[in-house]
Amino acid sequence: MTNVVLLNNEEHRALRVQPGAAARYGDNQRFVSVIAGEFAHLAVHYPILLTKDQDTGGFFIGAMLGFDEGENLFLDARGMETYRPLNLQRGPFFTAGNEIAIDLDNPRIDEAGRPLFNDAGEPTPYLQSIMALFRDLWPGLEVTKVFVQTLVSLKLIEPIDIDLAFDDGSKRKLTGLYTISQPALRALPEESVLDLFRRDYLQLIYLMITSLKQVPVLARRKNNALLKASAALQGV
Amino acid sequence: MMRSVQNIVIVGGGTAGWLTAGVIAARHQGRIQQGTFSVTLIESPNVPIIGVGEGTWPTLRTTLEKMGVSETDLFRHCDAAFKQGARFARWTTGAEDDGYYHPLMLPQGFTQVNLVPHWLEDERGRSFCDAVTPQGLLCDDGLAPKMITTPEYQGVANYAYHLDAGKFAPFIQKHCTSKLGVRHVLADVQTVNKGDSGDIKSLTTEQAGEIAGDLFVDCTGFRSLLLGNALGVGFKDCNDVLFCDTAMAMQVPYETADAPMASHTISTAQSAGWTWDIGLPTRRGIGYVYSSRHISDEAAEAELRRYIGPGANGLNPRKIPIRSGHRETFWKNNCVAVGLAAGFLEPLESSAIVLVELSAKLIAEQMPANREVMDIVAARFNDVNHYRWGRIIDFLKLHYVLTKRPEKFWQDNTDPAGVPDRLKNLLHLWKYQPPWFFDEFDRIEEVFPAASYQYVLYGMGFKTEVMAGDNSGTRSAAAGYLNENLVMTRKLRGQLPKNRELVKKIHEFGLQAI
Repeated sequence: MTNVVLLNNEEHRALRVQPGAAARYGDNQRFVSVIAGEFAHLAVHYPILLTKDQDTGGFFIGAMLGFDEGENLFLDARGMETYRPLNLQRGPFFTAGNEIAIDLDNPRIDEAGRPLFNDAGEPTPYLQSIMALFRDLWPGLEVTKVFVQTLVSLKLIEPIDIDLAFDDGSKRKLTGLYTISQPALRALPEESVLDLFRRDYLQLIYLMITSLKQVPVLARRKNNALLKASAALQGV
Repeated sequence: MMRSVQNIVIVGGGTAGWLTAGVIAARHQGRIQQGTFSVTLIESPNVPIIGVGEGTWPTLRTTLEKMGVSETDLFRHCDAAFKQGARFARWTTGAEDDGYYHPLMLPQGFTQVNLVPHWLEDERGRSFCDAVTPQGLLCDDGLAPKMITTPEYQGVANYAYHLDAGKFAPFIQKHCTSKLGVRHVLADVQTVNKGDSGDIKSLTTEQAGEIAGDLFVDCTGFRSLLLGNALGVGFKDCNDVLFCDTAMAMQVPYETADAPMASHTISTAQSAGWTWDIGLPTRRGIGYVYSSRHISDEAAEAELRRYIGPGANGLNPRKIPIRSGHRETFWKNNCVAVGLAAGFLEPLESSAIVLVELSAKLIAEQMPANREVMDIVAARFNDVNHYRWGRIIDFLKLHYVLTKRPEKFWQDNTDPAGVPDRLKNLLHLWKYQPPWFFDEFDRIEEVFPAASYQYVLYGMGFKTEVMAGDNSGTRSAAAGYLNENLVMTRKLRGQLPKNRELVKKIHEFGLQAI
């Protein structure tokens, strides 16, 4: 359950929040929604793919962190060493217009966490960093939405089937994922290409294509995890 | 000199006219853009369209997709909803719980093994439909055949549409004129000008002068202005087989805007015919198709109102005469009839629009290059259409002949004198072997495949003798498919949204093209 309220420095003066990455805080997600401004950070670690919102059928873009439900292959006991997507960084916070809201039922709210306000009721550097994050995230959502709409209208999206076989004999067949269609991209008329370039979309498109090379890297990570687990089971 | 066929003139602006225009124009788009081929549709500004056919076949998905129509737009502009088949209630005994489905999905493994004898051998308390496909239960649950994440025109379960035919024709018209380059002429045809060979040379219209063409498509409805009137092709009645000759229709609002909406046509047997009940998002289309030889209009209206209940209060039915039958030939000289101009049958299995699609497709695919080869294509077209109309009449009659209902209308239907010979022979044969691939269902694009016969026959309790030992060779394969059906049924019932819920979402968010 969630209990989202607007944050204020009276009622929430003493609130403390755990900012770190951990499975118990909800960082164990295999697919996290991302914004266009993050693509350069993401592409060096994760596949950037499209999928459909189960409720609306509309496309959105996300970073793939794992293959199975609740699996983030970059998360360990120390947290996440690689770039952590803004949607994980934001923790229990949301925006409501220009204001910040917080989910009071979120497990990150913890007495051992970091304070949000100092004794004078001013935001701490941690809360300031969250406010800065939303200054990127909030407009970024709209920019990314328009980018996705452009991909849809230019028919640049195609499904991608990912079939994996691991050394422990298990297999995964991932469906419902989409990427940029390179034949469709090559077939675009010149004026469309120029328009994509001027809107800085061409770079985003190539980052998405490049990030596909992270799929086998991610699969190796998974393979190692599986082998480690089966070795542990056999007491090796 | 070889006269090439370049200018197609379609007369009539109803569903048949615009679908035919769209199918031909989409197929020949390359030549249209080159300027070497044209499709012109002449529509009278004074004749209202009939707008029959709120039920369709899954073929419409392919037809519309090929025309480049967006499925989302279809839902938004034609008051469309999903259709997964039909339920025939009270056709066999008339009892309250008497009913069966004719779903749109084939039985599991249909191309591999005939499940009928295996089901007959051990029904395990399941109807034939529920044993071999999930679709009847999906309909019982009021579920949609797909999800909001399923791309346009793709289905999790096979489906067609229920739609508002009055909105469908203008919707296709807009697509044809704005996207496919179809020329739209609003004019009344006054005279049909024929040459010495009997070919139509041109049409003289009141508002747009003379319009010449190489091939004329008659989509003028029951009147059949070109093929019937001008070329004198007669009409072949089939009221000796199919007795219903009148329909009485009403549009009934839902009690609440979010009332459940059935994802199948509900066809209920009445004393002298049957009622259809089709759920569109904004209303139910309900009507009584009956034989005026067996019931008076007043009694029929009372029976229709009884079926609808209080929802019918204050509504007036529209009476529509039905003349079951078809033209003696469908393509003569350079004129071919499509839609009601070709013929009409009671809408028991929604055969009207699918016949338009199949005819339009055949014309588009086989478009004769020149006048010299047109007669060859025409002969082929006539052969296929005679076969199709005959098969459909047989299949419609099948719904009636197995009844045990006592009323005179139903008993008259079981009289062998009214049963076509082909159907009689097949029913005889099927006492000893169930229908499957070998029962003459050998045509490409068979309207009703053997599976349809299976659903009706075994839905109505038809008995086929299974010879002892005959099943042993296919028993393990059959068991696999029957089990697969159980698994699939459980999965789909847990996964699919309600019919109304999905249609609402399509209005709000749209379906993705991929």
